[in-house]
Amino acid sequence: MASLAGVRILIRNTGKFRNPISRTCLRSAVTQLQSNERYFHCKRQSIVTLIPQENIQSLRTYSTNPDTKKIEERVLNVGTRVKQVRQYSIAEPMSLDLIRKRVLLVLNLYDKIDPQKLSLDSHFINDLGLDSLDHIEVIMAIEDEFGFEIPDMDAEKLLRPTDIVRYVADRQDVYE
Amino acid sequence: MMASNRRAILSLYRNLIRESKKWNLYNYRMYALRKIQHEFKQNKTIQDIEKINECYAKGRENLEIIKRQATIGNLYSTRPLIIETVENKADSN
Repeated sequence: MASLAGVRILIRNTGKFRNPISRTCLRSAVTQLQSNERYFHCKRQSIVTLIPQENIQSLRTYSTNPDTKKIEERVLNVGTRVKQVRQYSIAEPMSLDLIRKRVLLVLNLYDKIDPQKLSLDSHFINDLGLDSLDHIEVIMAIEDEFGFEIPDMDAEKLLRPTDIVRYVADRQDVYE
Repeated sequence: MMASNRRAILSLYRNLIRESKKWNLYNYRMYALRKIQHEFKQNKTIQDIEKINECYAKGRENLEIIKRQATIGNLYSTRPLIIETVENKADSN
């Protein structure tokens, strides 16, 4: 896992390097192209390969910041219908802290849970007094919030908010 | 019999809710959700195995109906009702 994170950081860093290099290469290629037409063929190839790299760089922005009001709105509307909107961009950056906050927010908004009793370590059935049917509804609310399905086998084991946080984090490859 | 299995019943509950949420028509969707939740809450204390099996079979049958009707209903969808859109309008003002 550590090595994976390391590779990711490396990629990010090289990405930063790549941008100015590709830009300078591109510029020089264009000027050379104007100066001598003999190498037209091979220069054109280099342009074609370089341009997409620039585009990828400029696309690396996150469309939205996770904001609590939006999550709240989404969760409260779950009772009627869930609309999963696919954003054609890189997913929001996730951190353990953010997942923790989102899970707690979803649980707070669930009407059968008393927000005063709720903490990360409280047991749904023993501490919060939910029955197994309520537990399933809670798991479904979490599914709707994070946009993936939790199989029955795993859902049974998610009996505390911390378990849910860990499960979602594993699923989204968040380790720090 | 399988129906007496606690896990099977819980997964039936899950599937029923999940399928009902796919319904586009507001009235049917809300009715199904309310009905499912109410019936399960009402019958959760039943101990008699025969009765449990009966309820389970009924649930299975209704799951099939919901699946079929939701698909058919979504083929002929209509505009969303005023109650569905009015909340969004209130938010934007």
